[in-house]
Amino acid sequence: MLSYIVKRVLAAIPVLFLVVLITFILVRIAPGGPFDEERSVPPQVLENLNKRYNLDLPVHEQFFSYVGNLLQGDFGPSFKYPNRSVTEIISTGAPVTIELGLYALIFAMILGCSAGVFAALRPNSWRDYSAMSTAMIGICVPSFVLGPLLVLIFGIYLGWLPVSGWGYSPGDKILPALTLGAAYAAYLARLSRGGMLEVLNQDYIRTARAKGLPEWQVVIKHGLRGGLTPVIAFLGPAAAGLLSGSFVVETIYQIPGIGRFFLQAAFNRDYTMILGTTIFFAFLIILFNLITDILLVWLNPKLRSEVFNQ
Amino acid sequence: MSTDIKIQGNSLFSDALRRLKKNKLAMAGAAFLLVLTIISILTPWIAPYSYETQDLYLGATPPSAEHWLGTDVLGRDQLTRIMYGSRISLMVGVIATSVALLIGVLWGTIAGFAGGRVDSIMMRIVDVLYALPFSIFIILLTVVFGRSMLLLFLAIGAVEWLTMARIIRGQVLSIKSQEYVTAARAIGLPPWRIISRYLIPNALGPIIVYTTLTIPSVILLESFLSFLGLGIQPPQSSWGSLISYGVETMEEYPWLLIFPGLILSLTLFSLNFLGDGLRDALDPKASKD
Amino acid sequence: MQKLICAGLALLMLMLSACSSDKLTPAEQGINTQTLLIANGDEPRELDPQLSTGSPEHSIHLALYEGLVSKNSKDLSIEPAVAESWEISDDGRIYTFRIRDNARWSNGDAIKASDYVWSWKRSLLPKFGSEWAYLKYYVKGAEAFHKQKNNNFDEVGIKAVDDKTLVITLNEPCNFFLQLLDHYSFFAVHPATILKHGDIDQAISKWTLPENWVGNGPFSLKKWAINDVIVTEKNPHYWNADNVKLNAVHFYPITDKQAEERAFRSGKVHVTYTPQLAIEKIAWYRENQPEALRIDPVYASYYYEFNLTKAPFNDVRVRKAFAMAIDRKLIVERVTKGGETAAWSFIPTDPGGYQPKQYYNYDIKQARALMAEAGYPDGKGFPPVELLYNTNDNHRKVALAIQQMLNTNLGVQVQLLNQEWKVYLNSRKNLEHDIGRAGWIADYLDASNFIEILASDSGQNHTGWKSDIYDSIIAELKKTTDSQQRFKLFEQANKILADEMPVLPVYNYSDVNLVSPAVHGWHGNVMHYHPYNNVYLEATP
Repeated sequence: MLSYIVKRVLAAIPVLFLVVLITFILVRIAPGGPFDEERSVPPQVLENLNKRYNLDLPVHEQFFSYVGNLLQGDFGPSFKYPNRSVTEIISTGAPVTIELGLYALIFAMILGCSAGVFAALRPNSWRDYSAMSTAMIGICVPSFVLGPLLVLIFGIYLGWLPVSGWGYSPGDKILPALTLGAAYAAYLARLSRGGMLEVLNQDYIRTARAKGLPEWQVVIKHGLRGGLTPVIAFLGPAAAGLLSGSFVVETIYQIPGIGRFFLQAAFNRDYTMILGTTIFFAFLIILFNLITDILLVWLNPKLRSEVFNQ
Repeated sequence: MSTDIKIQGNSLFSDALRRLKKNKLAMAGAAFLLVLTIISILTPWIAPYSYETQDLYLGATPPSAEHWLGTDVLGRDQLTRIMYGSRISLMVGVIATSVALLIGVLWGTIAGFAGGRVDSIMMRIVDVLYALPFSIFIILLTVVFGRSMLLLFLAIGAVEWLTMARIIRGQVLSIKSQEYVTAARAIGLPPWRIISRYLIPNALGPIIVYTTLTIPSVILLESFLSFLGLGIQPPQSSWGSLISYGVETMEEYPWLLIFPGLILSLTLFSLNFLGDGLRDALDPKASKD
Repeated sequence: MQKLICAGLALLMLMLSACSSDKLTPAEQGINTQTLLIANGDEPRELDPQLSTGSPEHSIHLALYEGLVSKNSKDLSIEPAVAESWEISDDGRIYTFRIRDNARWSNGDAIKASDYVWSWKRSLLPKFGSEWAYLKYYVKGAEAFHKQKNNNFDEVGIKAVDDKTLVITLNEPCNFFLQLLDHYSFFAVHPATILKHGDIDQAISKWTLPENWVGNGPFSLKKWAINDVIVTEKNPHYWNADNVKLNAVHFYPITDKQAEERAFRSGKVHVTYTPQLAIEKIAWYRENQPEALRIDPVYASYYYEFNLTKAPFNDVRVRKAFAMAIDRKLIVERVTKGGETAAWSFIPTDPGGYQPKQYYNYDIKQARALMAEAGYPDGKGFPPVELLYNTNDNHRKVALAIQQMLNTNLGVQVQLLNQEWKVYLNSRKNLEHDIGRAGWIADYLDASNFIEILASDSGQNHTGWKSDIYDSIIAELKKTTDSQQRFKLFEQANKILADEMPVLPVYNYSDVNLVSPAVHGWHGNVMHYHPYNNVYLEATP
């Protein structure tokens, strides 16, 4: 087990390196530079700006000096926000985004999985249809629609919850978490229903039922373990998606998270910020995928020898 | 032995079709999708107005006898724009999802089945692609290749297959340890037979569910891509772009959000009912009941 | 299971109702504490006045810094600020400023004339890389110093005669030089603070963070939480602090137009500042809350650039036909709907008195005749052309309306092409477009600001159009101070632009903002200039 984790962590190093290399190349060949603005900058000023960020050096030298700094934990200064370092911006924004993502994930898990299991217990009943229809509405209504809608209803018409901000009042985290989590709740509902239906038809469940175990015990003890496999497999991508996709919600609710920077940096051609946030999200994605894989194996003991001894 | 399997396979298929036909919701979903497809093909001949002709003096009007679904801020007929939009959106949904499905299922199955080093290299490649900044990638695509629809499908498919691959791999991993697969291996069935005969059919449930979920998200993703300059250009319309414009005016002109939203939802519902029906019908174990 | 759901719902309702007490909104609390809350667009890049280029920074600079002179926010006339008085020599080239005795930095230090000399040197140092350095080229020796033709700053025309006397010498007399002094790149910064956090020419520095910052405006920087809020509070050392009524100004970076409007409606901010209210919301506010809606014309031009380097727009007849085939009145009344005015000249009407002549009109007949003359009768044989714009709701709507007008009026097919901002800038710079959307907002109140954009060597001229006569008018303007004479030159430039039509003017912008009726002393003007000195908050009954 431990050696497996160590192996995976070691495998993360080339992954991160490739991500840095490819992103570095992508941003450099993308048209438009960090200093292109509506008012074009006079050539001699541009030259000085380029010098300020070592953009006058050959590209490979820039890359190696960037990687060199990276190894010392220095992500460089932001092009767009010159008096803040990328490290600073990530370390202030990331906790907010992670907190938001966590709430959204918890919300999505609780709502999605219970709706899915609930529906799977009585397939093709009114319960099933109503739970699944609600879930589908969650998928149909993307966050850029749901967010403004929730704000209008709860923030403006009813005046129950704040329309924006983060950490100013206890209520201001509810709407963002709901908005971000809704689509994932719907996905999880679908996946867990499918997974549960699959499992509830398996022989060992029949055996358990035949043994006369109470239904809830059958479901929780035997059903969930197998039935939630697709859910667990989805959790890695979902967690990553929640974090990197939080920019819509962060923009709607004016939340000082890192998701806004992730998207804006691309539009600003803020080279160091694009790389910094990409590395940050890559790290999280690798982490979540690792956790997912471990969970998958943990849920399926037969796999253990297969995976861990590779 | 082999003829045996074939006969069983055929009866399974006709069995499945029979079961599907009995599922009223699934059939209703299929019917809706069929009608929608026919309408969208016939749109150029049956659309009540031109999708681009504006009436600036008219502006945005609620549904009326002349304009059944109202008009947008430039006075264009909403019904016509939704009809034309369905051509683009259905195409994007189907083609991009197929691309994602094809790559994702193959990749995930091979990785999960092969295991070991092949698996970990394939999945690390997925990790790398996951982590790359998508918007920069799209911006580059628009510049290097211009703005063809084909590119749009590929771009969306290229992103969506990643999640598909991970889910399928997880599924394959858990199926592969089941007795019947172990048995099949033991009798020396070639890997591709095991994959096509056992792994994919048994992973079909999640594949169908995820596919039906991917189609609407792809349709919505298209509007973000046209924001970045890839794909369709105004005055052309798509459901995604109609919805994203509709959001901006949802208080003033709610019909501009409600109707495109409704048609997208109905499509998704139909897809899901059909998908569930298919899943139930194809489920090899359900047949015993 | 059902019980569980019921319990969950009950808990949720409880939480919701706990949040919805009858508390005052932040905007209402702000009235009690004299705290002005502003929705300020993008997160500011930096708060160094000599580096900033954007409007979110500008509105914060108005709180944090002050120039030698400032403007009256009602009529934009020049008023004394850090300088209590000044003299201009008879030849108009030498300005002598007297700095107030009580002008102080926010740490209590006196503001000295030498601080200005130091600050201007900083902004002209090439390594510092200020994007505004060229504005100082009116000052003697500044251009040579900035371009490193001369490394001795003593040759530049800014001298501290003593602590309180500053003398500035110009190359040529300049009508709007006092206005330039109110541009933030001409402001002074506190030398000791900057040197404590880096070299004089070091642009990347921590000095503008709240714990280090020193400035001289009516407010000082207290908190800067990225993408969250910037808090400024009244600066007790400000020379005119007694007349500043607000205690604090808070700036919220809200990038989304819709979110900005919702923040205003829910009482989270008093003012939406940038850049424009969504079109559909304008009608709603006209109807329901007209007292909050502020529409001010702006000294700015919205126009399309033709690419003259390739067919078909290398033909002036085609350019003219396009310009005549667009019904601008319909566009401003039915598409943009925000108080914009139809533009028939690239140079807008000057609040200083210059009124450009209109040389052509919305004239389909003549436009068609011109197209036929150019070889495209009824649009036949016209090559496919693309209209490039950056992704934006308003630009899209205007482009769609124009696309249709050109189609019905001239029979030509124009393809729309939207690009992400930086890609669009790049395409324009490389002249890859056929027609490109553009806009220009004046930095100072003078028509030369617009005329110079289309100079042959201008970085903003993305048309490939070059005209020697036009360039000579610009050179002439730099030497001319008599306003009647200048108006004549403006008109000559305007006529050339109408004859050659390198750009197609569409409309003159207006500012559409929401300002709570509780905000007093907030005046509309054509420069989008809203200082906070005279602003106060008072609830309306």
